[in-house]
Amino acid sequence: MKKLFLFTLLLVFAGSFSVIGQCDSEALSNQCIPKLASGFTFLKSYKIDGAGGTKDKVEYSYVFTKGTQYMINLCATGANTDGIVVSLYDSNRNKVASSKVNNQFITAIAYPCNATGIYYIQYTFDGSSSYCGGSALGFKR
Amino acid sequence: MKILKLSIVVLAAFLAACGGKKENAEEAFLKSLDSTKQEGPSISEEVIGDILQQIPAPLEISVLLKESGQKYNASLLNTTDNTSRYNSNFKKALNLGIYGTDLGYTNIYEQNQDGVKYMSSIKELADGLNIGQFFDIETIGRLATNSKNLDSLLLITTQNFNSINHYLQTQSRANLSVLLLTGGWVEALHVVCNVAQANPSKKELQETIGEQKVILENIMLLLSFYKDSDPNMASLLADMEGLKKEYDKVNITYTYKESTFEIVDGVMVIKDNSTTTIDITPDDIKNIATSIKNIRNKIIS
Repeated sequence: MKKLFLFTLLLVFAGSFSVIGQCDSEALSNQCIPKLASGFTFLKSYKIDGAGGTKDKVEYSYVFTKGTQYMINLCATGANTDGIVVSLYDSNRNKVASSKVNNQFITAIAYPCNATGIYYIQYTFDGSSSYCGGSALGFKR
Repeated sequence: MKILKLSIVVLAAFLAACGGKKENAEEAFLKSLDSTKQEGPSISEEVIGDILQQIPAPLEISVLLKESGQKYNASLLNTTDNTSRYNSNFKKALNLGIYGTDLGYTNIYEQNQDGVKYMSSIKELADGLNIGQFFDIETIGRLATNSKNLDSLLLITTQNFNSINHYLQTQSRANLSVLLLTGGWVEALHVVCNVAQANPSKKELQETIGEQKVILENIMLLLSFYKDSDPNMASLLADMEGLKKEYDKVNITYTYKESTFEIVDGVMVIKDNSTTTIDITPDDIKNIATSIKNIRNKIIS
């Protein structure tokens, strides 16, 4: 009977730890909003949850408008991007930008759009430890 | 035996703390309240969510109008006196979107007294759709009293609408989210058409109207998912077909050219070398303006 009680306690603790270990991408995306550069108005926040590495990418899309400048930033646990890379593709899947350049992870992309259309905002993981992050999109004219 | 009981109590307490049962009950309650929910869309709600999130915020058009030197014009907006007319969930959701765009417009122009009126109408319609909990009217009212709070005001209102859309999708009420975004877009297009007609030399306004062809295609796609299950959405889609006929005359040409970049203060600044050219005539603007006015009149009446 004692074994049953201990097993129940173990089950509860294991459950608790798995909750603690979950990716709180919503909190991280909220952290990103005030980090948009001055003059940018907030549009959307994006959750980046790579499900512990089982997902290789997280993708969103948005219609960008010619004449508008957009900013996409990245937040992860710790100061840097924890290996999270944001890439921007146009509607024909041509790559417009990637935040990893020369093995350097950049935390924000500013994109002065010159061609209206649907764009894909893709988050990938390159040596990430948590596979968890957040991002915010803002605009200015 | 005592230990067995204790184990059951601990396990039950843990499962209750997870809150799954409470969420199901709430979901069932909200579903029972939603009279516009019919048989459901002809495609997965996940796909609908993906398309919905593409649609740009009407706030971008309000900022364009202000930045291009246009004066505030309250007569372009839907009066808040109409709020009590909207009795069905269909009308409530569409006009919630319309008033959302109007609120953004008043905020951008720092017309706080008008903004408070729109906020009140938005709260009333949102309450009628059981999503009023997303509007903290006290905080918004306080922020609206001081123009120094503009950034916070825009942030909190945008977050509120984003939360509503997310919530509706998680509650299998994406149909309301589609209507909310459609209403918001119709109002923004109506406003920019009026301003463009009064200022025919402003090319950027004409181009903005032309660019809406991309959004119209998405909105029509979203409405088409519900046309067999919801007669109101089918009727709205039929109205949009008329608008599409006008937009068929507008040509958008996209030319891709690889972008370049530089790093400035830790930010990657892209130089977009791709272009779009938008062919739209004054006649096209006139016809689009007439079509959107007719659609909007049906919605706000």
